[in-house]
Amino acid sequence: MHHAHIDKFAYQDSVIHRLDSRVKFIVTVLFTAVVISLPRTSVSILFCYAVGPFAVLVLAGIPLRFVFKQILIVSPFILVLAFSSVFYDRSEVRIAFGPYFWDITTGWLRCFTILGKFIITMMALIALVSTTRFSNLLCGLQKLGFPKILVIQLGFLYRYIFILIDRAHHMIRARSGRKLKNLGLKREVKVASSMIGSLLGRSIDTAQRVNIAMEGRGFNGNWHSLSKLRVRAADLIFIFLAAAFTAGLFIFVKPILG
Amino acid sequence: MSNAVEIKNLSYKYPDGTTALEDINLSIQAGEKVALIGPNGAGKSTLLLAMAGFLGGSGKVFIDGLEVNKKNIRKIRAIIGSCLDNPDDQLFMPTLQDDVAFGPLNMGLEAKQVEQRVAEALETVGLSGMGEKAPHHLSAGQKRAAAIATILSMRPKIITFDEPEGSLDPRHRNNLTGLLKKLPQTLVKATCDMNFAFSVAESIVLIDGGRIIAEGNVEKIMLDEQLMTEHGLETPKR
Repeated sequence: MHHAHIDKFAYQDSVIHRLDSRVKFIVTVLFTAVVISLPRTSVSILFCYAVGPFAVLVLAGIPLRFVFKQILIVSPFILVLAFSSVFYDRSEVRIAFGPYFWDITTGWLRCFTILGKFIITMMALIALVSTTRFSNLLCGLQKLGFPKILVIQLGFLYRYIFILIDRAHHMIRARSGRKLKNLGLKREVKVASSMIGSLLGRSIDTAQRVNIAMEGRGFNGNWHSLSKLRVRAADLIFIFLAAAFTAGLFIFVKPILG
Repeated sequence: MSNAVEIKNLSYKYPDGTTALEDINLSIQAGEKVALIGPNGAGKSTLLLAMAGFLGGSGKVFIDGLEVNKKNIRKIRAIIGSCLDNPDDQLFMPTLQDDVAFGPLNMGLEAKQVEQRVAEALETVGLSGMGEKAPHHLSAGQKRAAAIATILSMRPKIITFDEPEGSLDPRHRNNLTGLLKKLPQTLVKATCDMNFAFSVAESIVLIDGGRIIAEGNVEKIMLDEQLMTEHGLETPKR
């Protein structure tokens, strides 16, 4: 079965794709931390911050339609969270954008801030995974000193999530083929529980066979990789630009727009 | 010279008490290409797992003269490579290159040696230049070939295959047959596909109910219609 992988553009070639995975990871984490820590009154500043990941996505040749589709897929939870703030914080504030100004409640302001931060951090995250092969990302995490067990688990998650999705699809199709009438909620829940149980059982079975395959090839708990990572001049320039951009916004734009 | 595989009085029961293997005695010579045939549930896969030291049981198994036990298990795993029935179980790394390199890296080889082995193994199975691909981007035939490459890169003396032809179309099955025929190693293949077994094996071991029913000449066993039918099998098309 064909899957639309989140890292399907990671195999392209661009100046961003060629950067060291560790550099991209650290810059993404720090940029995300800065964006999250912005105060809720800085809606206009968020637009400026969006320029960073936007520029990276454009330079890397990642279609923006793909980016916003991915953001939409994961947005429901954040939408609920953002819009719920509208109802519990109704004190009025005036916001201005250039010569224009509006009176809105603090709840709406908080809602826009949450959505803005979510979109920008998601853009940064998508820029990271769309320009970095997952194997290089794992290698980078390992070299950055992330716990070995976490790196191994992430590797397995990436490798087997699609197989699990395939199995679930097959089971749902098999159920649909034999479900000739509406079963009612109670029966549906029972059938769904059995399917989840079966999926879990098969996953455990797969895990045991993977363990056999690993032991058969001499696995002793140490994770080795052939991936070679090297920080080059382009990586240092990227770090400098990212730091200058973030610091510049933090120092100069905040007093003007905030 | 010792046999590549020597099994003496091997019996194994599953944890629920079901007998999987019963008093198995088997010798396989170095370089021999053997097919284990038998109906579903005959014990073929269990026997392959026992050979590589994944299952205990009573009796003794010797691989290249070394007894399969906890003390020797690391040496045994370097001698015998196990290719599982489902390539998705065999290919667990994010890229094909990492998967093929997994075994040699665990053997403690230098990066240059590993790279050379990876390149050779991928070339042998016809996947040169695909090392950067993720396993889930490969076709069923490519996955099967890649699973074999993960074993070849370790350069084992013996390779076991569990249903290697499973879910392959005729073209990929023919490619696999050609590949298995040209491998110099001792090969032990468990299969339910009689045509495949007939085309790649130099000798046959027929298993049913956890026991060896017959072993020896391919034509003598596989063309015996009565014997094959009695054990839920069929004679190959010639």
